[in-house]
Amino acid sequence: MRPGIFVDTFQESFRNKMFLFFFIVATLIIGSIGLTLNMDIVNGVLRGVTFLGNEVRVPAFTVQQWVQNLQSGLAMVIGTFGLFLALMATSTLFPTMLQKGSIELLLCRPIPRWRIITARFLGGASIMAFNAAYLFLGVWAVLGWKADVWNNAFPLSTILVIFAFIVLFSVVMIVSVITESAPAGLLVAFTMLIFSPVLAAHEQITPAFSSELYRQIFRSLYWLVPKSAETISAMRRLIQNRPLDINWVLGTSAVFALTCYVGALIYFTRKDY
Amino acid sequence: MQFAFEAVSLSKIFRTWWSRREVHALQQVDLAVAPGTVFGLLGPNGAGKTTLIKIALTVARADGGEVRLLGESIRNRSILRRVGYLPENPRFPMHLNAIQVLRLYGSLSGGDPNRIRENAEQWLERLELARWRDTRVSKFSKGMNERLAFAQALVHDPDLIFLDEPTDGLDPLGRKEVRTICRELADAGKTVFVNSHILAEIELICDRIAVMKSGEIIEQGTVADITSSRGGYELVVPGSEGLSQWLREKTLTFAAVNGHFRIQLPDRASANGLIDALRERNVEIESLMLKKKSLESVFMERIAAP
Repeated sequence: MRPGIFVDTFQESFRNKMFLFFFIVATLIIGSIGLTLNMDIVNGVLRGVTFLGNEVRVPAFTVQQWVQNLQSGLAMVIGTFGLFLALMATSTLFPTMLQKGSIELLLCRPIPRWRIITARFLGGASIMAFNAAYLFLGVWAVLGWKADVWNNAFPLSTILVIFAFIVLFSVVMIVSVITESAPAGLLVAFTMLIFSPVLAAHEQITPAFSSELYRQIFRSLYWLVPKSAETISAMRRLIQNRPLDINWVLGTSAVFALTCYVGALIYFTRKDY
Repeated sequence: MQFAFEAVSLSKIFRTWWSRREVHALQQVDLAVAPGTVFGLLGPNGAGKTTLIKIALTVARADGGEVRLLGESIRNRSILRRVGYLPENPRFPMHLNAIQVLRLYGSLSGGDPNRIRENAEQWLERLELARWRDTRVSKFSKGMNERLAFAQALVHDPDLIFLDEPTDGLDPLGRKEVRTICRELADAGKTVFVNSHILAEIELICDRIAVMKSGEIIEQGTVADITSSRGGYELVVPGSEGLSQWLREKTLTFAAVNGHFRIQLPDRASANGLIDALRERNVEIESLMLKKKSLESVFMERIAAP
C-alpha cells in the first residue's frame, strides 16, 4: 500500500501497541464469554449460568432476555469505560503530528492542509471503529453460537458507540490543534463525557434553579454540547428492542462534531507553523 | 530568466492576539536565486531566514508580496512536488524505520513509488545509513537523524532543495559529504538554498550568498565579491628612514617587516594615489595585494553596523 498519513496513523497505532492493546482486550472479552460462559437452558428458559467457573444467579428469564441484558450491560461498559480508554489512546495523535520539526515535514508537501488533518482524524477514528466492530461482532457471534440468540441490534449498536467516540474525538481534535497539548484535549472531552448525564437530566434539574437565567444557560448547554450519555443509553434501548427517539440527540451531537471539525480545519489551515 | 526561487516584496508580521505588539519578521524582501546554483542565506538569530523559507514552503503565510518557486507561484501547491526541504531539528515519526521514513515522505511529495524505493536505497547507501535501513528512527543518534533528514529532502528527485542548518549535528566527514552532495546537485542543474549560521560552511559551498538582518536583505552577491571588496589593499615597498617619516606625516598605517614597509590602504583610489606619490619619490613598488576578508569578518561588520 502507498504510504500516506491515514496509513501512517494506523502504523503508528500498531507500533506503539495502542491497536494491539484494544485488540487483546476485545479478544479477552470475546474469549472469556466463549470459553467460560455456560448456560443451562431448559425449554427456552434459562435455569442457570456459570461464568469463569462461578454460578451466576438469574431469575427465570427467557434466554433471549438474558442475552439481551448481557449485551446491553456490556454495551454500557464499553460505551463508558471503553470510550474513556479510546479517547486516552488517541489523544496524542494530533499533538505528535504538530510537534516542531514534524509538522514542517508534512506542510511542505503538495497536499492541502485540510487533507492532512482529515487523514489523521479518519485514521484515529478508523482504529477505534475497527476495534469496536471486532468486539461487538465477536461477542454477538459467540453468544449466538452458545445460546442460539442472534440479536442483530447488538452489532448495529456499534454504530452508536463509534458515533459517540467520533463526536468526542472531534473535541480532542480541535482542542489539541489549538493548544498542541494532548492532556488539554483529553480533559475537555472527558469533562463533556462526565457532565453529559447531568445535562441529560436538565428537565429534572432546572426547576431547582432560582433564576430563569440559570435555567436558560443550563438548557442551552444541553442543546449545545454532545449528548454522549444519551447516545450510549440509546445503545441499551436499541439492544433491548425498545423504541428509539434519538434524532435530536444524534442530530445536535453531529452538528457539534461537525462544528469542531470545521473549526479545527479552519484553525489548522490558517496557522503559521 | 526564470529563477529557481524568487521573493517579491515579501512581508511578514507576527502579532500576538492579546497585545498590540508586532514583530516585522520580513520587510519587503526581494530576493532571486538562479537555477543550478548553491545559494546561502546568512543572518543572526531572528533575522527572518527561517520565516522566509517557511513562507516559500507554505508552512507559514506571508502578509504581503509573493514567492515563486521554479517559475510558479506557491499558490499552486503542486509545485511543491519539485521541492525538497530539510527543516532545522527534524523530527520523524518514532514508529518508522529509516526506509519507511523515506518512502512515507517521498510518497507525500507525490513521487513515483518505484523511483522513490530506488532513490531511498541509493541515498541510504550514500549517506552511510544502509545498514540502519530497518532500524527505527527512535534509536538514531542526532547525526544519523540529520543524515536521514537530508536523504528525505532528496528522495523524490526535487529540482529545488531548501536546507535549514544542514550540517547541524554532523561530524566533519558528514559535513564534507553534505558539501560534496550540494555541489553535485548544483552541477546536475538543481538549486540548493542553504540557510546556516556556520559561515565557514557557507563560504565553502555557496556560489552566491545574501545576508539578512531584522527582516531585510542587507547584502548579496558572490562570496568573492563580498569578501574581496572589503579588505582594502596592502602595498609593500622597500623600507627607509625618510620614507618612514613621510608615511607618518601622511598618517598612513604601516608595519616594518624584514626591511619592507607593509602599508594598509582602505580602497583602490587611495592605493592608486599612494603609488603615484611613491613613484614620484622614486620609491619602487615591491607588490600590491588585494586583501580579502573572511566571510565571518564581513558578516560581523555588517551585522554590527547600525
